[in-house]
Amino acid sequence: MSTESAGLPSHAVNGDPCLQAAGSHAGEAFHTADRILAEEELKASLKEVGDLKAALDEHAIVAITDPQGRITYVNDKFCAISKYSREELLGQDHRIINSGFHPSEFIRDLWTTIARGQVWHGEIKNRAKDGTFYWVDTTIVPFLNEHGKPRQYVAIRADITERKQAEAALRLSEDRYRTLFNTLIEGFCIIEVIFDAHNRPVDFRFLEVNPAFEKQSGLLDAKGRLMRDLAPDHETHWFEIFGKVALTGETVRFESEARALNRWYEVSAFQFGGMESRQVAILFNDITKRKRADLSAAQLVAIVESSDDAIVGKDLQGIVTSWNAGAERIFGYTASEMLGHSITRLIPPTREHEEEEILGRIWRGENVRHFDTVRLRKDGSQIDLSVTVSAIRDSAGQIIGASKVARDITARKRTEEEIRRLNAELESRVAERTAQLEIANKELEAFSYSVSHDLRAPLRAVDGFSQAVIEDYGGQLPAEGRRYLQTIREGAQRMGMLIDDLLTFSRLSRVPLKQQEINAEKLIRSVLDDFSAQRKGRQIDLRMGELPVCTGDPALLRQVWVNLLSNAFKYSRLRETAVIEIGCTQQQGEKVWFVRDNGAGFDMRYVGKLFGVFHRLHRAEEYEGTGVGLAIVQRVIHRHGGRIWAEAAVDRGATFYFTLEEATKP
Amino acid sequence: MNETTYVEILLVEDNPEDLELMQRALRKANITNRIQIGRDGAEALDFIFCEGAHAARKIEDSPKVILLDLKLPKVDGLEVLKRIKGDPRTRAIPVVVLTSSKEQNDVVESYHLGVNSYIVKPVNFESFIEAVQHLGMYWLLLNQPPKLEK
Repeated sequence: MSTESAGLPSHAVNGDPCLQAAGSHAGEAFHTADRILAEEELKASLKEVGDLKAALDEHAIVAITDPQGRITYVNDKFCAISKYSREELLGQDHRIINSGFHPSEFIRDLWTTIARGQVWHGEIKNRAKDGTFYWVDTTIVPFLNEHGKPRQYVAIRADITERKQAEAALRLSEDRYRTLFNTLIEGFCIIEVIFDAHNRPVDFRFLEVNPAFEKQSGLLDAKGRLMRDLAPDHETHWFEIFGKVALTGETVRFESEARALNRWYEVSAFQFGGMESRQVAILFNDITKRKRADLSAAQLVAIVESSDDAIVGKDLQGIVTSWNAGAERIFGYTASEMLGHSITRLIPPTREHEEEEILGRIWRGENVRHFDTVRLRKDGSQIDLSVTVSAIRDSAGQIIGASKVARDITARKRTEEEIRRLNAELESRVAERTAQLEIANKELEAFSYSVSHDLRAPLRAVDGFSQAVIEDYGGQLPAEGRRYLQTIREGAQRMGMLIDDLLTFSRLSRVPLKQQEINAEKLIRSVLDDFSAQRKGRQIDLRMGELPVCTGDPALLRQVWVNLLSNAFKYSRLRETAVIEIGCTQQQGEKVWFVRDNGAGFDMRYVGKLFGVFHRLHRAEEYEGTGVGLAIVQRVIHRHGGRIWAEAAVDRGATFYFTLEEATKP
Repeated sequence: MNETTYVEILLVEDNPEDLELMQRALRKANITNRIQIGRDGAEALDFIFCEGAHAARKIEDSPKVILLDLKLPKVDGLEVLKRIKGDPRTRAIPVVVLTSSKEQNDVVESYHLGVNSYIVKPVNFESFIEAVQHLGMYWLLLNQPPKLEK
């Protein structure tokens, strides 16, 4: 240092502007008398200048150029940083260290400024001799001559390369961060956690959010806003976790559901900006889809595991790849006994072809559904199974195996067997009963036939010969005798009627119904025509309402109307004017047919006997009859699925009502 | 019975009371001439087809009408009817079925077999006589048997 300082004056003499300036000042003040003193002062002053210069050189990189830009002075530091020797530099202009970094405007601005005599300040990138670059903070001071023009320029520089590098590095890191921040697929945000008076985290504010934030979080325009405002129901654990990160600096990583946002997140959170900032940086991912998939996969696993059915996976060689609890139960093998083994050990020798056939169908892309078969259990017993096999495909759609669901149908088979047995039994029982019924029917028919032939023949004899007696010998008999014979004949004829009615009645149960649509009005009119003889000479007010069509067996229904109307005519014959009403009304959606007369009626106390066979509510001498007519009517109505009932009062007439089952349209 | 007599009515009836009453009825209706009686189905067939006791009879001399009870001993009335209507030589003889049966089967079967008429014998013998007289008058008034559809 001292040697450098000592060397200074020699340089100074040659060109240091300061020194020259100082010299000229000294010259003006020069006086012989004071010369020594002046020289002393000058020496002292020079020394001070030299010291200052030494200090400057110690601190700064210094160069001096002439107005043309040629270097006239460089200090050691200049040489050191530029890696040129002083000799190489002097007489050169600054282009020797031009890095080419700065645009020409920058250089022109520099020169314009200093050429005007103004100080220029700036940062310049230069190139050292070895090609490396360095940055210098540069101040150029123009020294002016007496005309105010720059005489020389003094450039004082400080090495700022490190700072520049640090800055560049920072900028780079900043850029990288920005890029990351902007292009990150994950959501990223910086939040400030807000604590209440008890230092409990209660909310947080979004300070920064990246572009992916919206999509990942589902929150719009979150920046600057409070979480509680965006989602009032956000679970408290979120605030607690981030609060803890903010306070402790602990880094957390977790997955959690945010019900208020209907999403699952995978979150990494770390303290940001120191404890006092209470800020947390959060990197997160929306994993709702994966979570739901996991959940449904877990459900599927649970379903498979809890299934009563055997669910088995196998590859195309028939090697078992999965084996659930149902399979363990049904086949008796544990998963560890079966995994990696061939499925063929479950197949009875007689059914070996089946597996090949099934795999063949799977290969062709077909599914095998509810294939009933038999398999072997571990204990060697056989089990009835219903098997459904489907292909397992990889993501490319390639068949890589088959899944097999097997249901134990032993119970079903047993039930089917039982049903078959019961059915057969039932059928044979039905056949037996039918045969018995047929026999009973035959017997009944034979009985009826016999009754109708054999019981009537003697009656004919009784009647016929009684008449023969009356005709041939009537004259020889007293009147009383003839009346007895007449009574015998009447008895015989009456018994004949009873037999006929009984046969009719019994036949009604046996003949099949011939259902068809019937014009009721036409039917009734034809019945009335048949009664014309009975009606002769009587005054009858016959009132017939509107009669719809009905469905039934025409012959049997005709019998119904014959019986009901003949009763009406019969029991009203003592009326001066018989009033007989025939009609049909709708009651609760049902057609109710009726026949009403104003005749003798009957006591409702005996209504229960009305429809019984041979039951009569009137004495024979009042009103003739066999007591079978209404029984026949009831039987016919019942066979048609209908009901019959009556309303009456003694001497105030009777009304008979009946319904017929509505025929279901074919 | 005189086989050379020309028989106008064949009455097949096993019940003697019915038979007597029927004969009386026919007599009262003045249909008294040439009634041949068959007491069962076999006898009726022998007469109609000139077999057994009636072998000497000529089948061409067929009765003008046959009154046939259905319920007969040995061969029943339906079988007799079937034989009569199944043979071209006798098919044209009018047959009236007389029965006390109202059984549908009998009626249906009789008509299947080609019976010409059918009456139920009522207990009231006046009606019976009416029916018999009516039938007798109808068939016997015709000099020739009706031409039946082939």
